[in-house]
Amino acid sequence: MLMEVEVKDKIHSLGNARYVFEKEFMPHMDAMYNFALKLTADEDDAQDLVQDTCLKAYRFINSFEPGTYAKAWLFRILKNNFINDYRKKSRGPSKVEFEWVEQSISGEDEATEPAYFADLQAETVNDMLGDEITAALQSLPVDFRMIIILCDLEEFSYEEMAKILDIPIGTVRSRLHRARALLKTKLVNYSKTKGYN
Amino acid sequence: MKTSCEHHQDCMQLIQKILDGEASVAEKEYFIANKDQCLPCQKGYELELSLKTNLKSKCQLSCPEQIIHKIRLKLFLLLILISILIPLFC
Repeated sequence: MLMEVEVKDKIHSLGNARYVFEKEFMPHMDAMYNFALKLTADEDDAQDLVQDTCLKAYRFINSFEPGTYAKAWLFRILKNNFINDYRKKSRGPSKVEFEWVEQSISGEDEATEPAYFADLQAETVNDMLGDEITAALQSLPVDFRMIIILCDLEEFSYEEMAKILDIPIGTVRSRLHRARALLKTKLVNYSKTKGYN
Repeated sequence: MKTSCEHHQDCMQLIQKILDGEASVAEKEYFIANKDQCLPCQKGYELELSLKTNLKSKCQLSCPEQIIHKIRLKLFLLLILISILIPLFC
């Protein structure tokens, strides 16, 4: 009799987990896919990454507290999944990536951003197509791409980004600043080749 | 109006903080009070704002329905499998 109750409880808790999954996690599928696609730059890898993340989230659903920020929890799993599995598969970090991140950690911010992006105007960016901006974003080292997506596309706070990326909040600020400086440089170059302005 | 800004790095960091919703009230007030007197800061603000809004509006994609179906199917099968296995191991 006791065993029967135990079995029923476990099955009930599985059903409950499915309900939590549908209610808390499914609304973030678009954001997760978008993040995965920008990280992997490959549709098949992005699909696999989202599926793996969902299955992992379901497996560890007991460590999620309903009512807390599900999106940040999922993004953290997705980011870890990407670093542990997909990043290794595709390639190691580029030299540029190491340099930028090292400088970012040591706080050498001053020499990075041109004094004034006179060549890039707000109107130019407004005229650009989504594909053009996406291409510039995709050309950034992955750590910079990641922080811009989290902040500008997904609107996470600095504190949430620090938790998702496992870095101090000061590093979030400096990395974000450097990422945006590099993105603007890419957009300036791009706008010149495409004859904007 | 100033056409060059001697604190441009700091101003750009402040502008980004404001647009990211991370600046304090005092920082926002300081920027609003000084923005109209500095062309590079004005242009910097417009550029950062356009970057942020264009990234948000032009670089978003929807998750293909087939992935959502696949995930639901996998979870459903997992649930059935576990429901069958639990009584065997309890």
